[in-house]
Order: sequence, then structure tokens, then C-alpha cells
Amino acid sequence: MATAPKPQTDSKAITKEVLLRVEGVTKIYDGTVKAVDNVSLTVNKGEIFGLLGGSGCGKSTLLRMMAGFEKPTKGKIFLDNQDITDLPSYQRPINMMFQSYALFPHLSVWENVAFGLKRDNMPKDEIAKRVDAMLTLAQLNKYAQRKPHQLSGGQQQRVALARSLAKRPKLLLLDEPLGALDKKLRETTQLELVNIIEEVGVTCVLVTHDQEEAMTMASRIAVMSEGYFLQIGEPDVIYETPNSRQVADFIGNVNMFEGEVIVDEPDHIIVKCDECTHYVGHGFTGNKGMAVGVALRPEKIMLSKDKPKGEYNWAEGVVTEIVYFGDHTTYHLKTAAGHVIKAQEINNTRDLSCGLTWGDHAYMHWGDLAMIVLTH
Amino acid sequence: MNMLKNLFQGNKLVIGIPYGWFLLLVAIPLLIVMKISLSEMEATSVSNMISWTNGLPTLKLNFANYQFIFSDALYVKTYISSIKYALITTLICLAIGYPFAYFMARAPKHVQPTLLMLIMLPFWTSFLLRIYAWKTLLVSNGVINNVLMSLHVINAPLEMMNNSFSLTIGMVYSYLPFMILPLYANLSKLDLRYLEAAADLGTSPFKAFWLITVPLSKAGIIAGSMLVFIPAVGEFVIPELLGGPDTLMIGRVLWDEFFSNNDWPMAAAVAVVMIALILVPMAILNKAEAKLEEA
Amino acid sequence: MSQASNKVFANGWMLAVYLFLYLPIVTLVVFSFNDSKLVTVWSHASTRWYSALMQDSDLLSAVFLSLKIAFLSALMSVFFGTFTAFALNRYRHFRGRTMLSSMATTPLVMPDVIVGLSLLLMLVSLQHWLGFPQRGLFTILLGHALLGTAYAAVVVTSRLKEMDGRLDEAAMDLGSKPWQVFTLVTFPLLVPALVSAFLLTFTLSFDDVVLSSFLSGPGFNTMPMVIFSRARLGLNPTINAVATVTITVVTIAVIASSFYTSHIERKRKREMALAYSDSNQ
Repeated sequence: MATAPKPQTDSKAITKEVLLRVEGVTKIYDGTVKAVDNVSLTVNKGEIFGLLGGSGCGKSTLLRMMAGFEKPTKGKIFLDNQDITDLPSYQRPINMMFQSYALFPHLSVWENVAFGLKRDNMPKDEIAKRVDAMLTLAQLNKYAQRKPHQLSGGQQQRVALARSLAKRPKLLLLDEPLGALDKKLRETTQLELVNIIEEVGVTCVLVTHDQEEAMTMASRIAVMSEGYFLQIGEPDVIYETPNSRQVADFIGNVNMFEGEVIVDEPDHIIVKCDECTHYVGHGFTGNKGMAVGVALRPEKIMLSKDKPKGEYNWAEGVVTEIVYFGDHTTYHLKTAAGHVIKAQEINNTRDLSCGLTWGDHAYMHWGDLAMIVLTH
Repeated sequence: MNMLKNLFQGNKLVIGIPYGWFLLLVAIPLLIVMKISLSEMEATSVSNMISWTNGLPTLKLNFANYQFIFSDALYVKTYISSIKYALITTLICLAIGYPFAYFMARAPKHVQPTLLMLIMLPFWTSFLLRIYAWKTLLVSNGVINNVLMSLHVINAPLEMMNNSFSLTIGMVYSYLPFMILPLYANLSKLDLRYLEAAADLGTSPFKAFWLITVPLSKAGIIAGSMLVFIPAVGEFVIPELLGGPDTLMIGRVLWDEFFSNNDWPMAAAVAVVMIALILVPMAILNKAEAKLEEA
Repeated sequence: MSQASNKVFANGWMLAVYLFLYLPIVTLVVFSFNDSKLVTVWSHASTRWYSALMQDSDLLSAVFLSLKIAFLSALMSVFFGTFTAFALNRYRHFRGRTMLSSMATTPLVMPDVIVGLSLLLMLVSLQHWLGFPQRGLFTILLGHALLGTAYAAVVVTSRLKEMDGRLDEAAMDLGSKPWQVFTLVTFPLLVPALVSAFLLTFTLSFDDVVLSSFLSGPGFNTMPMVIFSRARLGLNPTINAVATVTITVVTIAVIASSFYTSHIERKRKREMALAYSDSNQ
């Protein structure tokens, strides 16, 4: 997984002051379908909080409850310590940037951005000032009089952002903000988006199914599945120390070794698997004889033709597949036990670095701290 | 709770207004028709079903109208004949309309709106006047006979009016757009890649038509057929203007019972039996339309 | 069959169907300019039946009544049709939804004679209890509005389905109360559909003969009722003249509106293409 710079992670704007608190929220549709199941979370001021999950995991329902389009079946939502659970969406100081934008097709860009301000009965000259400022921020001044269908996808996206920021909401909700753009446009748009959000300093909740988008934009991520949170944490924590097989599998690529703990010491454990024996350089909460999974990311595995020294943390296999990505190459190696292990090599020279080809016998090895031991 | 209350009241109004409207003008009238069909005609008014004897209500149901309908050969014959004409109309409309809709859906994209408009245009002009127009064409001294005779194709005028021929032509003519429109809507959405895939797998165009196009347009065929069949069963204007003494149609009988014989309970009973006949086609139509919506 | 003969067959078939559809209409128009009293025998061109039409006070007052009823019933149809479409599409789950949707489709398919008879019997019962309504303009109006509501609901529904439901939510999210959502967003976007629903229901009402015959009272004859009673008796050249006038008006209206919509559509497509090429520079 390519890790782009994280613009928000180290931002000073994040405080420990809680802005949004979701307490034990459950949403049941038609009396039976549990879309969101007893979920709790807090979002701090200045944070970009990501809700990540596949389709139907409940992330959109949760977002819609924050916006006020759905009412929780159970639980409460607080904004700035005020209970907003029963507040209608038009009274919440929360605005949303909709998936595929939902720009009003009969209104110009200017009128779209002014729409929310007019509802607040703001004086006319102040509305004009605010709208112009928003359009400048989003670099849309010369499109002010256009209708949405006269704009490109990227421009529409900026109008949607300007419209949702115009009322200076306490909380901005982003529903798949880049979902409607093609891959090429995404990268630049994403940077623009984050820059504008930082400039305004608004707290955000971001919903996405795209892990890369979540990783690069969010300061914290909640991984959702079947209506509940699997794990909440900073992107690197989620990536490097997933708390379950499911999270490890959902975020990035992973090789999963099933094995048994044969040595359990405070500073290390040893796990015996089919194709190798893992020496893990940290302790774990479990006991000897326990069945565990050892997760190992492909980019942490090094390949060589020579047999590594020592008895731990290496395996051997036959190259069955070579997938070339340009910046890196993924090798699939089949072990004697029949498992396929993926190893990723960075192509830092223009010739293929380790000179392996299909059918070659090769060794894989990795460090003491490269893997994560998962008990569930 | 304010929003919920507001929304709830809004809900009530938005649902309540059309509900009240249709209850008053569809559901209650149909119930009244049923009620009146079970009463008998008295000198000035329809008899009351519930009479009060010794302070107790007594329900008096009168099935005489229904007994009469089912025992009288003419009524039974008329119902059968109505269904026969509706069925013939439906089949001819399908035979003409399906190829038409198919060709229209395959026509170049930029002419399709014009082709569609040309189908809709007669639909917007008076139905009554168009039926009347057929009368001027078909009568024995009408336009068609005059032209054919002046060209010496025929010597004596053809008998084309006031028989099953004129009735069928009028019905097909009026209902053809109802067949074409749902079929076109269905066929124009058909993904041409299915046909390409079939050709790629070695299917001839003729076979591909029967194996792919027709099954995929089933919902359109059913919807179109029902949209023609149901109103055709009860058609009144066309048989009245173009039909003859031998072309029995139940809509005309109902009209005569009501306007000529002034027998309202009998007219109501005729209507109830007619409704019973079209209930099944209506259920089929509802199902087909739900399917069309999904696609 | 070769590609070319396929094409000939397809075009021939379509041409034949269009001929079938338009032959009667063209005949009507042509013979309206026939001088002869015999509708079907051409003598020479004249406009005498148009002059006769102008003198025909029965027919003219019927036309006036029909226009009045068509206008009012179209307004009512659009009003109730819009409510019906909203109830069926914006509130997906409520008790009796199926009942409402079947009641709303009943007038579309139920034979006119049944709709007419049932409405009349209801109105007679109502009059029996309440002393009103008298049969006449109002009762015809109700019948036409009922039929029109069902059609208008179909037109508005198809527009509502195309419309992105998120627009309503976006409006609410930006602080619009529910009635503002309707007036500021939903309604403006619905206007084209409401206009076509109005035109359609106007035409339906202007065309109806069966419902009017059941629901009308003495002295209230709509144009189709007059034409129908004359057509039953035989052929009548003034009917041709009326037909030509109606057909001309309708044709101009339909063609103009379809040109207008295709013009708008094309303009929109051009602008969209422009927007994308713009952003690629």
C-alpha cells in the first residue's frame, strides 16, 4: 500500500476538546435489519474522523443520523455537549457534502452557495460577502453564474464543498467526497479538499469505502463492519497494529499464518506455523499453546536466493506469480505446505531488483517486529 | 420532537388528501355500485337494502339481477363477445405494434423522439373525432369505396361498416399507441450487448430475436396487452359508432340499461360482472408494471 | 435477409403503421374543405362548413363549456395528482399504500362506462342525503378531475423518480424547513412535469364523452357530447370543420413543445460537453 503524506495527522488544530459524542447508537430498519449496532465514538475539535467500511456496513446510516436524516432507534448524539438526537436536520449546526454532490440543478453556483445563508435570514450584503469569500476559497469566482451542469466534476465538487462550508458549520460531514471523480483527478482534488478544510479549521466526519482515501485524509479512522466498529485508531495504528484478522485483512494486503504459541516470554514469543517459525520480538496477552494468527504485510518481507541464517522468521517457496505495478512488484510464492505468500519489492532500480522469475526457488525473511500476533 | 411532529402532520396531509379523494371517487362509488346491483328498481328510486321492521334492521339482498344476467343467453353471449373482440384487438395490436416498437427502438437515436411524437400526436387529438373519421372512410358511399370504385377495382361497394370488421379496425386504431408505448419503453432499454454476445456465441439474428429480445421484453408485452385488453372489454364509443347490431359489446349493454331502460340496479349488476372479468387481467398488469419499474 | 432488405422491411412496416394512424385524420381535414353536403364525395373546395360552424351556437357554447371544464379539471388533476405522486413516492411505507396505488391506477384502466356509472351512483346517493350536488358542470368536473388525477400522478411520479432524493436532504441540511424544501427545491424542479401533466389532463377532459354523458345534467352539453350525438345520427360536415380546428391547434402545440424540449436538451448537452473540455485545459 502506497502511503502518501498525511496532511492532517500532525496538525496542531486537533485538541482534546470533544465536539461530537455518539453514545450507544443503534438503528434498526423495518423492525429487523440492524444497520448500526450499539456504536459509540467521540470526535475531537479540529479532527478529520474517517468512517471506513464496505458497502452496507452501516457507515452511511451513521452519517445520516449525525446529519439528522435518520433518527436512531436507540442511543444519543451530542454536539458540544448538547443533545441533538431529536433536533431536525435544518436546525443542526452540521452541514453535509453529499455523495455526487446534490447541487441544486436549477440554481447557479452563486445561488447554491448562498442557499443555506438565505435560510438563516442573514442580511443581503453579508450573504454576498460570505458567498464571494467561499467562492474565492474554492477558486470558483469565474464560474459564479454557471449552472451545475455547466461545470466539470472537479468544479462541482468544489461548489459542493463551498456550499457546505458557507454556513460555518461546527461539523462537516463528507459522504464519499471523491467517489464521483476519476482516479487521475482524485489525487489533486483530495489535496485541495484537505487544504480548504484545514484553512477553515472545521471538524469533519468522512465516510468512505476507499482505504487509501481514509488513510490519507483522516486523523483517526473507525473501521466498520456489519453495523459495529472493528477498530478505532490513527491510520498508522490501524495499519501496523490491527486488532483482528478482519481489520488486518480489510486494510491493505496481508499474509496470514495460522500457528500455535510454543514459547511465551515477557519480551518475546515464538509461534510455530506450517511453513516457518515466527520469533516475535514483543510479548502478548495470551498463553503458551494458544492458537494465534500471525499477520505479515507483503512489503515487510525480503526475498533472496540464499538461505537466511538462523531458524526463525524465514520461509521458502516457488515463485508462481509476478505482478508488476511499476513502482513495486508483488511476488507470489507457493510454500511446500501449499500456502501462497505475497512479498512486495520496491523497484528502486530500473532492472528487476532480485532477478527472480517464474518457477524460481526463493527464500523470504523478515524482522522480529514485522508481524502482528492476532488472537481473534 | 418538533420535527417529528411537523413531519408527521405533513405526512398525514400529503397522504390524506389523495387518500380522501380516491376513497370518495373510486372506492366508495364502486361499493355503491355493488350495493345497488343487489337492490331492485322501484318506481322512482332504488330500493333500500336495509329496511327497519319492529326497530330491527333487516338486510334484504336481491340477487335477481345476477340471476337474470347468468340465465339470459344474450348477456352471456355479450360478455363472451366482448372478451372475444378485446382479445382479437389485443392480438392484432401486438402483431402490428411489436415489430413497430422494435424497429423504432433500433432506429437512429436522433430520429427516435420524432417517431415517438408521431405516435403520440393522434393520441393527443380527439379520440371521438378519429373514430368518426373511420366512419367517413368505411361507409358504403364512403371514401374508400368511392376511390376503389372510381379505380374500377370493385363494382359494388364493400360492406365494411357496422360489422365486426369496422369494429375491429376502430379498436385496433384507438388502442395501438397503448401497445406501442410500453413496448418501446421496454425495447429501447434492452442492452444491445446481449445480442452481440449471442452473435458472438454463434446465434443467428433470427434465433437471437426469439431467444433474447422476446423473453427480455416479456414485461412490456404483458403491460401493453393488458393496457389494450382491459379498457377494450368495456369499450362503448367505438362499438356505438362503428359497430352494428351483431357486434355485441357489454359497454353498450350497460349504457342501454342505464340510459334507455333506466334500470340502474341492472346496469350496476352488469358493471359488477364486468369488473369481475377484468380483475385478473388487472392483477397481471400490476405485476408487469412493477417488473417494468425494476428494470 | 440482408442488412439492406431488413432496413427496407423495417421502414416499410413503420410507414404502413403511420399511414394507418394518419389516414383518417388527413381525410377528416381534407373533406372539411369540401363544398358538398355529402361528406365523402368531393365536389370542390370551400370553407362553407367553417362559416356554418361559426353560426352553430349549440356547438360553440359546447366548445366553450368544454374549454372551461378542461381548464378547471386540469388544474384539479395536477393538484391531486401531485399529492398522489408524493404520497406514493416520498413516503414509501405507510399502511394502505397498496390500497392507494391501486385506487390511483383504477381510473387509468377501468372502462369509462364503469367509472362513469359508479361516480354517478355515488353522486346521486350524496344528493339524496345532502341535497347537493346537482348534476351539471360540477359533477362533470369531478369525473374529469378523477380521470386526470390518475394520469397526472403517473407524469409527476416519473419526474419524482428521476429526481435525486438527496436534493431534498441537501436543502434540509442547509436549513430549509420541510415547506421550504418543497417551495425552493422540489417545486421548481417539478414545474416541467406539472406543465405536461396539465396539458395531458386538459386534453383528456376536452376529449371525454362517456364520463360527461353519465355525469352531465340538462343543459350541460360538452363539445364531445354534441359531436357524439351528431355522429350517431350520421355524417355531418361541420364535424369535419371542428375536427380540423382541433387537430390544427393540438398539432401546433405538440410540435412546438417537442421542439422546445429538444432544443433545451441539446443546449444542455452542449454546455455539459463544454464544461468537460473546459476542465481538461
